[in-house]
Amino acid sequence: MPELIKVRPTKIELVKLKRRLSLSQRVQKIVKDRLSILTMEFLQTARDTVEAKRNLLDELSKLYKALSVAAGYHGYIALEKELIATEVDLKVTAGSRNVAGVRIPSFELMGNVKPMKGYNLVDTSSWLDRAAQLSEESLRAIVELAELQRNFELLAMEINRTKRITNALEYIVIPGLQVTIKYLNMKFEERDREEKARLKRVKVLVARG
Amino acid sequence: MPKPLQDEAKQSPYEKMLQECLRGELRLVNTGLPQSQKRQSKENKLFYLLKEKYPRVVCNDGSTHLFKKNELEYLASMIDTDEQKALSLPMLIELGAIQAEAAIICEGKVEEKVISKALNMPVTCEERRIRIYKPQLALLRRKFKTTTVYVFSPKIVA
Repeated sequence: MPELIKVRPTKIELVKLKRRLSLSQRVQKIVKDRLSILTMEFLQTARDTVEAKRNLLDELSKLYKALSVAAGYHGYIALEKELIATEVDLKVTAGSRNVAGVRIPSFELMGNVKPMKGYNLVDTSSWLDRAAQLSEESLRAIVELAELQRNFELLAMEINRTKRITNALEYIVIPGLQVTIKYLNMKFEERDREEKARLKRVKVLVARG
Repeated sequence: MPKPLQDEAKQSPYEKMLQECLRGELRLVNTGLPQSQKRQSKENKLFYLLKEKYPRVVCNDGSTHLFKKNELEYLASMIDTDEQKALSLPMLIELGAIQAEAAIICEGKVEEKVISKALNMPVTCEERRIRIYKPQLALLRRKFKTTTVYVFSPKIVA
């Protein structure tokens, strides 16, 4: 049962409570809208995350196959020697964006990634070229998945927080305000009735007078 | 029914916190919008954003909203150069009183064209708003993650 709010039984308090109730109802509407948007975004992110993860696993599987073929063709020692020179600095643009009040990160691998072919093209085969190409694609998939997973976590946390607020408003704040307003109204009606009875009594006394 | 106490002056800390929380919620929902005075400026147009190294806009709370280049390029592929100069980003999706509906605020015919192409269906602009339903909204958000933002309508906020 909702608890009464501790207020003085005056008309001013009643007006204040009514204002507070109206504010709470508006906020409840906004919070509910926000919750539905966040849920929609969360589900979309979840779907995207699953897709991105599957994509990454496919890419990595292809990459390892290509790399093992290249290793088989060149031999591990020769391959390692060639790959020492292939290290490049990756540039990832990191920023943020706002989704219904939640600030979520946004990562993007810079478009003009240097082709990862620092090795000698004369000594190596097309198997290694293929592995290099696949590794670039895997990197893109990793960056995409990193962004999606972080978004997924942040949205989930915000949904939890928003749900708590919605529940507090729906089951505690608004019913409490409604009960208190009802109680004050009853109290004022009771006072009016008392006043009327008193006046009648006074009238009778005056008439007897 | 328990009797209320007669002393209201001592409002409980819980009540105060709740009031603050409610006010905070109202402030929070629209902090991610681009600054209103810069909404019409040149910097927010697609054509100029495409030329920037890090395409972004400044939000109301002073933070920046970063656009993804591939999204901008996708948008640019839908419209010609003049239209690119007219399209302000991010596009605003307004959530109003009707829960099942959302409206995209449009300042010209460009938004209409872009939305129509993205959703692959004809849309009409009425009173500077393109009305779409939730399933279409999900589709739109999937295509334009960084180039659209939500606005909570002042009709419900105020």
